[in-house]
Amino acid sequence: MKYAKVYADGVNVGDELPPLVKGPVQQIQLTRYAGASGDFNPIHQDDEFAKAAGMGGVFAHGMLSMGFVAQALTDWAGAGRVAKLGVRFAALVRLKDVVTCRGRVVGKSSKDDRHLVELEVWAENQRGEKIVTGRATVELPSRA
Amino acid sequence: MPIQINRAVLGKEFPPYAVTVERGKVKEFARAIGDANPFYLDDRVGAASEWGDIIAPPTFAITFRDEAADTNALLRELGTDISRVLHGEQEFEIHRPLQPGRTYLCRARVSDIYEKTGKSGPMAFVVRETTVTDSDNEIVAVMRGVTVVRL
Repeated sequence: MKYAKVYADGVNVGDELPPLVKGPVQQIQLTRYAGASGDFNPIHQDDEFAKAAGMGGVFAHGMLSMGFVAQALTDWAGAGRVAKLGVRFAALVRLKDVVTCRGRVVGKSSKDDRHLVELEVWAENQRGEKIVTGRATVELPSRA
Repeated sequence: MPIQINRAVLGKEFPPYAVTVERGKVKEFARAIGDANPFYLDDRVGAASEWGDIIAPPTFAITFRDEAADTNALLRELGTDISRVLHGEQEFEIHRPLQPGRTYLCRARVSDIYEKTGKSGPMAFVVRETTVTDSDNEIVAVMRGVTVVRL
């Protein structure tokens, strides 16, 4: 169930995040993300500009893909539970690409009533190529 | 001939700037990502939540730029332009969710510059770290962005 409450007690190393499928990415979403984020780099809007820059055409903002990965985390852990998220943009996302965000629990720790879960996170396109790789920490409530 | 990156920019501190989060911008940002989480979009859900109001998605701090500054100034100072840069990496440490109506202070600096040669040729990596504090001077977020410059 989407937005179900997750407790630290019920999470184990090796658990996988429910995959989040986003897209196909459309130009209108890149235009909307430009407006929302303030990143108006024409490389995400203007195909001729992107080609002249040697990028072969328009591609999505890395930050849009990172937003997708953050959504995969908060759909699972809840809004406001992400304490850290760091990613590397490994490959470009093109128009019509479908992005699937995934994650796996790699560690758990508790200190002073704070329960932290560490995850390896990544996103891949429809060909299974990783477009984003990274790590995240979420803080979860405990039943104990 | 490959361009040279101006390493004198390393350590540069930008003038601190204040940002007040607008309610509509939080919702616009969540919607642009296609994230319909009610904690970002629904004022009633926000009001009933532990935060007392809606909160911003984890990556929202990326919108915190100094609107009074020339956004291309750093690229010019580095000796490059927007057609040669890519976003290589990004990290957010979030101590508390950002919320509408609050004013935050951002302090940014160039914390590292290094060069590497990749598949597509020589590249410079410029790391910018921004610390975001609230009105009590408590750190609410730290973001680190790595800009890749194709040399």
